[in-house]
Amino acid sequence: MTPGIPIFSPMMPYGTGLTPQPIQNTNSLSILEEQQRQQQQQQQQQQQQQQQQQQQQQQQAVAAAAVQQSTSQQATSQQATQGTSGQAPQLFHSQTLTTAPLPGTTPLYPSPMTPMTPITPATPASESSGIVPQLQNIVSTVNLGCKLDLKTIALRARNAEYNPKRFAAVIMRIREPRTTALIFSSGKMVCTGAKSEEQSRLAARKYARVVQKLGFPAKFLDFKIQNMVGSCDVKFPIRLEGLVLTHQQFSSYEPELFPGLIYRMIKPRIVLLIFVSGKVVLTGAKVRAEIYEAFENIYPILKGFRKTT
Amino acid sequence: MAYQLYRNTALGNSLQVILLQFDKAMNSALAQTVRNRVNFRSFLNTYRSCDYLWSFVLNGVEFREVTELNKADEAKIVACDDKNIGSNTTE
Repeated sequence: MTPGIPIFSPMMPYGTGLTPQPIQNTNSLSILEEQQRQQQQQQQQQQQQQQQQQQQQQQQAVAAAAVQQSTSQQATSQQATQGTSGQAPQLFHSQTLTTAPLPGTTPLYPSPMTPMTPITPATPASESSGIVPQLQNIVSTVNLGCKLDLKTIALRARNAEYNPKRFAAVIMRIREPRTTALIFSSGKMVCTGAKSEEQSRLAARKYARVVQKLGFPAKFLDFKIQNMVGSCDVKFPIRLEGLVLTHQQFSSYEPELFPGLIYRMIKPRIVLLIFVSGKVVLTGAKVRAEIYEAFENIYPILKGFRKTT
Repeated sequence: MAYQLYRNTALGNSLQVILLQFDKAMNSALAQTVRNRVNFRSFLNTYRSCDYLWSFVLNGVEFREVTELNKADEAKIVACDDKNIGSNTTE
């Protein structure tokens, strides 16, 4: 079995535009386009995951084969260098070989003449936490671009509430994606409750479609995600008192007021609610990467304040 | 289609007064006198609230009273929300 030949699996189609594409700003309200775009993005993510899995498998195969080679080398270092059973190519050094190729390179045949120095992957100063925060809520706004008559919307649309004396907007809900929208007479709309950026956009388009079908010339201008909330669990209890003592310029902890510690991170500008149980809520992000970055920043700090009793 | 021309007559006016009295009597009876309780639980198809008037469309609803059980595939509830709380249902 020859190591290190990159495997072109039939699962990698050509010419499907595997490069990530920016979100297209279309003002047309076609739900079909949105759903097709979502499916394409999901397929791209799946393909990227498959590629990563294949690369990992290749690296493992190379490492396993190299270990086999090194053990067979030590056995045959005193024998003739002509190939043993099916193991080609042969290495002429009896150094033990630790090959884990650098991420992103798939080595072909290791050169028999060059000394093999152990190649280890770059180890970061601290390991990544391995925990990914899950998005729980996305708040976004969009401008429908025309004045709306809220009374006709409330009377004709389904699943709508309108109490002008209490609040000057129509509150509308849809089931898929499960979201709530506040629709104002100026034509501006707030969409809350989605679990991902694409779902928030799709939901906002569905609401705009409802308004359009009622006869208003609705457009889809300036869709913007205003806030993203994520949560995760570090799986160990935390000494909040210690954390507030050392990070007092960032933290505020009033157990009589609220059982969680409020940590205001400067970079990225995210607010984290940290609880004794180890659950963490992150909010204030405009993009998903800020949530991930904030959690990677706080995780080593939290590990340092792990409760040991 | 009969003409409503003759409502503004002595007979018509007194009958209209009776109708107003009927409205008041129904409201107070439902608010004070009637004590029956009906439970129901179902899937909510749609809801609407406008001007303190709620309307719901339920699917697969069972109205459960102590004495009897009424089922319906579809039920529309129109509910008024005001100082005197009252509601009426149509099936």
